[in-house]
Amino acid sequence: MQVREVIETLGLKLMTHEVPVDVDVIGGYASDLLSNVMGQAAPGMIWVTMQGHQNIAAVASLIGLSAVIVAGDAPIEEDTLKKAEQNDVLILATSLPAYDVIGKLYELGIRNVK
Amino acid sequence: MKTVIGDFHVHTLLSPCAEIEMTPHHIVMQAAEYGIQLLAVTDHNASANAVAAIQAGERYGIKVFPGMEVECREEAHIVVLFDNLKQLRRWQKIVDFSMRGLKNIPERFGAQFVVDDDDNFVAEEERMLLGPLQLSAQEVVRKVNEIGGLCLAAHIDRPAYSLLVQLGFIPNDMGLQGVEISRNSLAELEQLKLKRLSGNLPYVTNSDAHRMLEFLEGPKNKITIEEATISELKLALAGKDGRSWFPGYFINDLEY
Repeated sequence: MQVREVIETLGLKLMTHEVPVDVDVIGGYASDLLSNVMGQAAPGMIWVTMQGHQNIAAVASLIGLSAVIVAGDAPIEEDTLKKAEQNDVLILATSLPAYDVIGKLYELGIRNVK
Repeated sequence: MKTVIGDFHVHTLLSPCAEIEMTPHHIVMQAAEYGIQLLAVTDHNASANAVAAIQAGERYGIKVFPGMEVECREEAHIVVLFDNLKQLRRWQKIVDFSMRGLKNIPERFGAQFVVDDDDNFVAEEERMLLGPLQLSAQEVVRKVNEIGGLCLAAHIDRPAYSLLVQLGFIPNDMGLQGVEISRNSLAELEQLKLKRLSGNLPYVTNSDAHRMLEFLEGPKNKITIEEATISELKLALAGKDGRSWFPGYFINDLEY
């Protein structure tokens, strides 16, 4: 499955505009502790978080995640989007609570598989 | 130049989690007894006991920086320090505006007392001081710097409320002047394992005391500065112009 399909199915808002959405989603991960994400998430995963700090772009780029979904209408800082564009990181946003986002991803067949 | 001992992260009885013995007067008295010349009172998202601490400090010859332990939106703690009450009040206004409007439940979380410099009761703070503000870490640091204050990421080596744990690493261009490590990480000073993840910022060690014994036993800093001001502390942290800042200082002859 590609990020494009996830965006369409969940009705996510695309926050980065210069980053391509035809990227394969290998699995999923959820955490708001970025230190934990750095240790546990794997390349190609889509990551669900409530953090909007610019480090989410750095962490996603470092691991090579397919996209970051910022859930629950959590505020995303301007610098985060700038950094994301620079590092080819897809940032998606939604008003859905993280729990619902993860449930929907699971329904799509996306699992925590490394 | 003078070399002095400083502890810049001390809670008073305004913090719900602090013991009642932590009155500004009592803290200053003990600081004078054990040769701690520089102090900062840093309650959670609040500063109403700073006036009493400064006044008591003047009586005992202790310089007290008004400060606060701020909880940002990312649920991490940042110690912020100011030169004077005018700056502190500007900051407190921003904090008041960014609180989430919850009430404290003293039976569950502890009471939050405001006192004067002679230990007399002044008021009870009814708002819940624990919990994150609606300000991001970056906004906190930017605004505090604008006002002329100093920012330290608190206890970055602890599992909870640490900017390092919440954000994975600390960007070195955030505007923080230092990172606080606990006594457990003093060995890191040699190994510098945390250094890379914390943006190569200078280490600071404070007691983060919530009770008197923690204050006296906790780590402090040995600082060489010209005078006790925020700009001098910044120079000391940066190790510039002959100023210096050595974390990991402990009181030797403690009899408490």
